[in-house]
Amino acid sequence: MGIERVESSDAELVRRIRTGDIGAYGALVSRYRDRLGRYAVHMIGDHEDAEEALQDSFVRAYRSLARCYDPARFGAWLYGILVNRCRTTGARAARRHRMFVRDADALNGAAHGDQADRVEWTDAIERALARLAPEYREAFLLKHVEDLEYEAIAELTGAGVSALKMRVKRAREQLQLYLREAEHV
Amino acid sequence: MILAALLMVVQVAAQDPRLERLDPGTRSAVSAVVDSARGDGLPVEPLIQRALEGATKGAPGARIVAAVRRLTVDLGAARLALGTNASAAELEAGVAALRAGATPEILAHLRDLRRPPLTMALSVLADLVASGVPADSAAAAVLALAPHARDADLVEFRRAVERDIALGAPPGAATSIRVNAGAENVFSGTGTNPGTVPRPRRP
Amino acid sequence: MFERADDVVERVIQHLRRPVAIDPGLDARVLREIAQAPPTNRRGWPLWSALAAAAVLGAILIARPWSRDETNRSDLLQFVFVAPQAASVSLVGDFNDWDPARSPMQTAQGVWATAVRLAPGRYRYAFLVNGVDWRADPGAPTARDDEFGTASSVVTVGGRGS
Repeated sequence: MGIERVESSDAELVRRIRTGDIGAYGALVSRYRDRLGRYAVHMIGDHEDAEEALQDSFVRAYRSLARCYDPARFGAWLYGILVNRCRTTGARAARRHRMFVRDADALNGAAHGDQADRVEWTDAIERALARLAPEYREAFLLKHVEDLEYEAIAELTGAGVSALKMRVKRAREQLQLYLREAEHV
Repeated sequence: MILAALLMVVQVAAQDPRLERLDPGTRSAVSAVVDSARGDGLPVEPLIQRALEGATKGAPGARIVAAVRRLTVDLGAARLALGTNASAAELEAGVAALRAGATPEILAHLRDLRRPPLTMALSVLADLVASGVPADSAAAAVLALAPHARDADLVEFRRAVERDIALGAPPGAATSIRVNAGAENVFSGTGTNPGTVPRPRRP
Repeated sequence: MFERADDVVERVIQHLRRPVAIDPGLDARVLREIAQAPPTNRRGWPLWSALAAAAVLGAILIARPWSRDETNRSDLLQFVFVAPQAASVSLVGDFNDWDPARSPMQTAQGVWATAVRLAPGRYRYAFLVNGVDWRADPGAPTARDDEFGTASSVVTVGGRGS
C-alpha cells in the first residue's frame, strides 16, 4: 500500500480538469477525501479544523494544478499539500469541540460499560497523540497509519529517511509511555 | 356575457406562460390565486415556482392549488410581521421561519434587531429547526446573533450546530453552546476575515 | 495485566486506522469554492485550457460576486450530487422553473455537478435521477414544507456579507 500510481485515471481526470471540467475534480475529491481526512483529523486533533484544512488543501491543489507535473501521482502531490497545511494549522482549536461531544454523551447517559471503556481508550490515544511533538506525530501517522514508505514520507516532508526513522521510533516510545501513564491515573 | 368573455381574455393574456405546464383546471385556479396575490402586492414568483414544482413532481391539481393558496396566506403573514418594505426574498424566508414554528413576534423582533436584508437570518432559523433544534432555541440563537453576525457567520453557525448534532449532541444544547462560543470566537474577529469572500461551506 | 510495549502501540495503530467520518458536504463546498475562483492562467497552463475552463465556468471571471454591488449581486453556486449508478441527473428548483431540461448535470465518475448563478434569496431544489427518482441534497438543509410527497433541499444566498 502507500501512495502509488493508483490508476491511470488520476492522470485522465487531471487532464479533463485542465480542459475546464471541474466535475472531474469532484471525482478526485471524492476519491481522496476519506483517507486524507483521517490524516488531518489525527494530525490536527480538532475535527472541524481538520475538515477546514482538508477543504483548503483541495482548493489549493486545484488552484495550483499547473504545478502537478506528474498527474499520475496526483495523490502524492495532494498529500504534500495537506501535510503542509496541517503543519500551519497546529492545534489552535484546543480540542474544544471534541470535549463538547464527550459532555453531550455523558449527559445522554451513553458512556457506560464497554462504551465508557472505548471512550476512555479513544481519549487516552488522543491525549497521547496530542502530547507528541508535531514532527513525531506527523512521521508516526504517515508511517504507521497511512502506511507510507519512508522514501515517500521523505518526499512529502522534506526530512531525511534516517531522521524520519528516529522520529517514528521516538513517537512509538513516547506513545507507549503516555498510555502506560494513563492506565495508572 | 361579453364582459365575462372579455375578462377571460384579459385573464388568459395575463397568465404566466410557464403555467401552461399545468392542466387547464389547475392552471385556471392557480392563475386566480396568483392574480389575487399580485393585487395584494405580494410577490408572485414564489407562487408560480411552487405550482411548477408540483407539476414537475406530478402532484394532483388539487394539491398544487392548495399549496399555492397556503403559500399566499403565509406570504401575507410574513409581510405583516416583517413590514411592507420587506423584499420578496425576505418574505419567502419569513414563510420558512413561520412554518418552522417561529412566531410573528419573533420575526418582528428580528426586524428590529438587524438591518436588512433579513433573508439569511430567517433562513438559518428555519434550517436549524429542520435539523431538529427546537423552534424556541433556534429563534433565541438567531436573535442573540442577529445584531452583529454577518450572513457568512450565520451560515457558519448553522453548519457548526448541524455538525454537533450529527456527532450526537442534543440539538438544543448544541445550539446554545455554539451561540456562546460564537460570542467568544467566531464573531470577535477570529472568524471570517472582514473584507474577504466568505468561505462557501454548505449551501 | 501485562501487555508488551509493541502491543500497546499496535493497538493504537489499529485504532487510528479506522475510518474517520468526514462531512459529506465537503465535496460540494470544495467544488463551489473552486467554481467561484478558478485558477489563473499561470505557468504550465496552455492558453487553450484556460479558455476552455473559462467557458465551462461561465461568467465567473466577468462577474465575480464580491466585486458587484450587493443589491445586484449574485453567486455562482456549484451543485454536486454523487450517484455512481445514475444514467442522468438534473438539478431542478425554484431557480429554473423546476424544469429538468434546464440544468442537466455533468458527471465525472459518478460525481454529478453543475453551476447555477443565483441572486440573493431562499431557494428550494432537488435532484432528479434518471428522470424519475427525486432526491434531496444530503449536504444541504432539508425543506420542511414537503407538500408534494418528495423531499427537497434549501439553499440560501445572502444579500450581504456584514
